[in-house]
Amino acid sequence: MTTLEDQASAPPRFVRADGPAKVTGSGRYVADLSLTGMLFAKFRYSGVAHARIRKIDVTAAKAIPGVFAVLTAGDVPDVRYSPVIPDRTLFAKDVVRFEGEILAAVAANSPAVAQAAVDAIVFEYDELPIVADLEAAMADDSPLVHEDWASYAVTGDTPRDRNVATFSSLSKGDVDAGMAEAHTIVKSRYVADGSHAAPIEPRGVLAQWEGDKVTIWTSSQVPFDARNGVCETLQLPSNRVRIIVPHLGGGFGGKCGFHFEAHIAALARATKRPVKLVFSREEEFLVPDRRRESMIIDLTTGLRADGSIVARRGWIAVENGAYTADAAFFAQLAAMHVAGPYKIDNVHIDSHLVYTNHQPSGSVRAPTAPQGCWACESHTDELAAAIGMDPVEFRKKNGIHTGATGVVGQVYDEIGLQQCIDAAVEQIDHAAALGEDEAIGLAVGWWPSFPGPSGAYVRLDSDGAGQIVTGAQECGTGAVMTLRQLAADQLGMDPEDFEIIYQDTAVAPYDTGATGSQTLLNNGRAVVDAAEQIAEQLRQHAADHMEAAVADIVLADGHAHVAGSPSKNVSIAELAEIAGGGELLIGKGSGKPPDYPEIPGMNCVGDQGVAAWAAPQFSCHAVKVRLDRDTGVVRVLDVACAHDSGTIINPIAAYGQVEGGVLMGIGQALTEGTHYGEDGKQRNGGLLEYKLQTFADAPRITTKFIQIPTADAGPRGAKGLAEAPNVPTAAAISNAIAKLVGRPVRQLPMTAERVWNALQEETP
Amino acid sequence: MTSITIPTSLRDVLEALAGGARPIAGGTDLVVSSRQGKAPLPEALVAIDQVAELSEVKTGTDGLMIGAMVTHARLMTEELLVESYTAVADAAALVGSPSTRNVGTIGGNVMNGSPAMDTGAPLVVLGAEVELRSTSGSRRVSLADLWTGPGRTSAAPDELCVAVHLPLRPVRSGSAYVRLEYRRAMEIAVVGAAASVSLAEDGTIAAVAVALTAVAPTILAVPDLDALVGLDPTVAAQRVAPAASATATPISDLRASDTYRRHTIGVMATRAVEAAARRASGETIAVPVNRALGIGAAR
Ligand SMILES: Cc1cc2nc3c(=O)[nH]c(=O)nc-3n(C[C@H](O)[C@H](O)[C@H](O)COP(=O)(O)OP(=O)(O)OC[C@H]3O[C@@H](n4cnc5c(N)ncnc54)[C@H](O)[C@@H]3O)c2cc1C
Repeated sequence: MTTLEDQASAPPRFVRADGPAKVTGSGRYVADLSLTGMLFAKFRYSGVAHARIRKIDVTAAKAIPGVFAVLTAGDVPDVRYSPVIPDRTLFAKDVVRFEGEILAAVAANSPAVAQAAVDAIVFEYDELPIVADLEAAMADDSPLVHEDWASYAVTGDTPRDRNVATFSSLSKGDVDAGMAEAHTIVKSRYVADGSHAAPIEPRGVLAQWEGDKVTIWTSSQVPFDARNGVCETLQLPSNRVRIIVPHLGGGFGGKCGFHFEAHIAALARATKRPVKLVFSREEEFLVPDRRRESMIIDLTTGLRADGSIVARRGWIAVENGAYTADAAFFAQLAAMHVAGPYKIDNVHIDSHLVYTNHQPSGSVRAPTAPQGCWACESHTDELAAAIGMDPVEFRKKNGIHTGATGVVGQVYDEIGLQQCIDAAVEQIDHAAALGEDEAIGLAVGWWPSFPGPSGAYVRLDSDGAGQIVTGAQECGTGAVMTLRQLAADQLGMDPEDFEIIYQDTAVAPYDTGATGSQTLLNNGRAVVDAAEQIAEQLRQHAADHMEAAVADIVLADGHAHVAGSPSKNVSIAELAEIAGGGELLIGKGSGKPPDYPEIPGMNCVGDQGVAAWAAPQFSCHAVKVRLDRDTGVVRVLDVACAHDSGTIINPIAAYGQVEGGVLMGIGQALTEGTHYGEDGKQRNGGLLEYKLQTFADAPRITTKFIQIPTADAGPRGAKGLAEAPNVPTAAAISNAIAKLVGRPVRQLPMTAERVWNALQEETP
Repeated sequence: MTSITIPTSLRDVLEALAGGARPIAGGTDLVVSSRQGKAPLPEALVAIDQVAELSEVKTGTDGLMIGAMVTHARLMTEELLVESYTAVADAAALVGSPSTRNVGTIGGNVMNGSPAMDTGAPLVVLGAEVELRSTSGSRRVSLADLWTGPGRTSAAPDELCVAVHLPLRPVRSGSAYVRLEYRRAMEIAVVGAAASVSLAEDGTIAAVAVALTAVAPTILAVPDLDALVGLDPTVAAQRVAPAASATATPISDLRASDTYRRHTIGVMATRAVEAAARRASGETIAVPVNRALGIGAAR
């Protein structure tokens, strides 16, 4: 194991290829693009949370001069779509189930005319009772969000019941027997509000048909997924839909999935013109089927006298919202986070994904994890306190370690959770001594890696310049940028020798996209594989050129040399020139994804494939906060982070990921939460009342990586890192607040007013 | 369609106003609220930023004159203000972000008349008057007479605020503005309080004024604080809290409940009086108090 001792000790300088364009403003985003004859799209939304449609009349809208098309459900193929539970259609039919549901799409010659047409659409409806509360939604007498749920063509092991979209249980050992053995039992409830990904760039889509092919420029994190959505809903083969993503202004999961590409493609086809959609900030909040789910978590844990956990029982409700975007696996994933990275012999957790008449939930950076970890880790401090044990010691005792068996029976290979705890504690203790009303809190977290198919091409042209052509999508993490380093290292070249062509589904092979922290793990493998094919060709050319054995050729510093005699060399540029006159230097890579581990004897109902974790990532964050007792305002002063994400390939990018994850975590902890009105509509859908953290709020952040080259992971034993830093921050802040308040604040976000209310509670 | 004229002389501005145009200073309220759909842009606008005299800050025998076009960025750094009218600088330094402060003006802040405006409470405790001018003359009004409700003033549509006038400060005086904020930039006052204190030679309170932000339809002065005269400042600071809470008539909204606002306005009032008294005693507390003393000016 090696640890990067000090982030100031100059990790290799690595300039992102997309950095200067973004910083100087020369980068082009979807909203910046214009095509000749382009029209402007606007959507008409339901504006009500739950209603039966009586009439949608677009006659007046169509009659407005400058309006080229108004589309409704009847104008597109009648397809119900979504992964696992196909419960959605492009346009509302019969019933609207949340305020941001699309009734109609307009294309007009200016945004103002499009808006006038939207306003002229007549929508008559009968209101239906609103399903908002998760527990009420699960009652037998609750109105149903989807009356026809039983008829949806679901796939996989997906038990469903009325408003419960998916149900999943984790079960191991005998919880009743374990509880009977317990010396101390602690019971807690935690409730988390929903929140938003809030990327700086609002969504944009621009579509243009040429013959029977459509090109769509879109702000997507997952271009292939977007393409597949268009193909499914408009019934087109994949080779007639091309998705291009220009610069993406952040995503944080919010731009995963398939969104409005098909609506705009349909408008462009109907009008025979390019059509562009650009969202307002308000639409960005209200409409996409991607926001962080609200959750209710009940936890009961039994401890033995020595402080070891003997049994845990859990009950979870995760909000699905009106439709199932990609949230089908959230019930099981939430259960894993609520169970936590602990050694527990007897566990039973029932977890439910519940329909409501709110905006649909979907993968926002580490879905379910910040909330699940916050509940689990706040509960962990309550457990330690109940038996008077130091919370660090409690975690070291109960936390999993190399060779240990976890909550679902998975036995872990070499992992660094214990070292993460030590490293976080060590770093936070190095911070200045605690002042008045200051406290330190700590939490551990975990997150899976997602092996999957992925492809890339690499080529060296005759001047020796390299080109990487990849299906991977850069959403700001720097993962795609790091591909240059991998290719360069494989070929003994400099990262600056490579340009990257990315984010174009017609040009590059498949990749899952910027989701599941998977880019480096999977596409890194593909690029290394492709580059190695070129390396083989170069070694052969060099061997011929220098009359040496192929096995003796070493590629380094832009040259091929004979092992042991570096002066006997030829430049790679020269070899490329030779190859340029014959068999070209082209590599294509994919590589077999690492296997998922097997879990003997696991007893899970509703398995969505996220109980057995490949190359799990571990983390521990320790925070120092100050509390203003008179107002409940909390300020985070220091955050010390330790992460086991396997080998760190691009340190600058890795530190950036951790720091961004911490800031996002602080927002979730303290200020970011959606308020709903009685009418089922968001009350703070905008940046005025939805309070993101600002740079002025940023604490000191220090990071250590526990680098364990991990088998069955990505290149050189790298795991993922984009989501992990977002997992334990809110939990650590919760534990620091609880020390100052005397009890945990059981609602997320832990706003100043909620903290102040907790301060007013009498100590029992 | 909106038309805009950009005169360089005050007379031309006043004439445009007489002709029905609305003034635009930095536009950070006017333009943003039209973008948000709150109020459409007026048909005729007159920009006032090219009139040099509106950007002056001048001392005279009767105190300080701040031109209506003076920006928050200048208010927070201008020595005349930081030294003697510190509460205004405290408030200006908390406004929005650097870009908001670079274009937003004191005239716009005052004339926009929001109950959550930050320079309002400081100007009230410092006894400010605004100078309103039109083609038919000029008059001075106190802020209490200016603000008539949220977003409403007693100024006639053709009257331009040309300046804010602050009277001379007594000896041994200080002022401060503190604001409850959930984050440290781009925040809107949940509640806020300004205090002006002057001390007697023995260090007790000689005079005190307190005004409150975002707890009523307009900025409110806390009445009847005479009982605090003669008290030790720390005692006075504690006593002001219940008075402030009693004066407030807060609402519940997304930012806070009425109960929480009523409590925290007392906390802010206490802290404002404490900080003002410390400044009055000669101590330097950097602008803004919120940053110098930590969260919401906690000690
Ligand atoms: C991102 C952001 C953050 C903000 N944060 C804060 C904050 O923290 N605290 C705060 O108090 N405010 C804040 N504001 C509001 C605003 O910036 C301030 O009120 C600012 O002082 C307004 O000045 P302005 O010059 O931009 O006014 P304008 O928008 O130009 O004008 C505002 C109104 O006053 C009228 N007006 C302007 N000048 C005159 C004049 N001389 N005579 C007569 N009428 C006049 C205009 O006709 C208009 O009705 C924020 C605004 C934004 C956009």
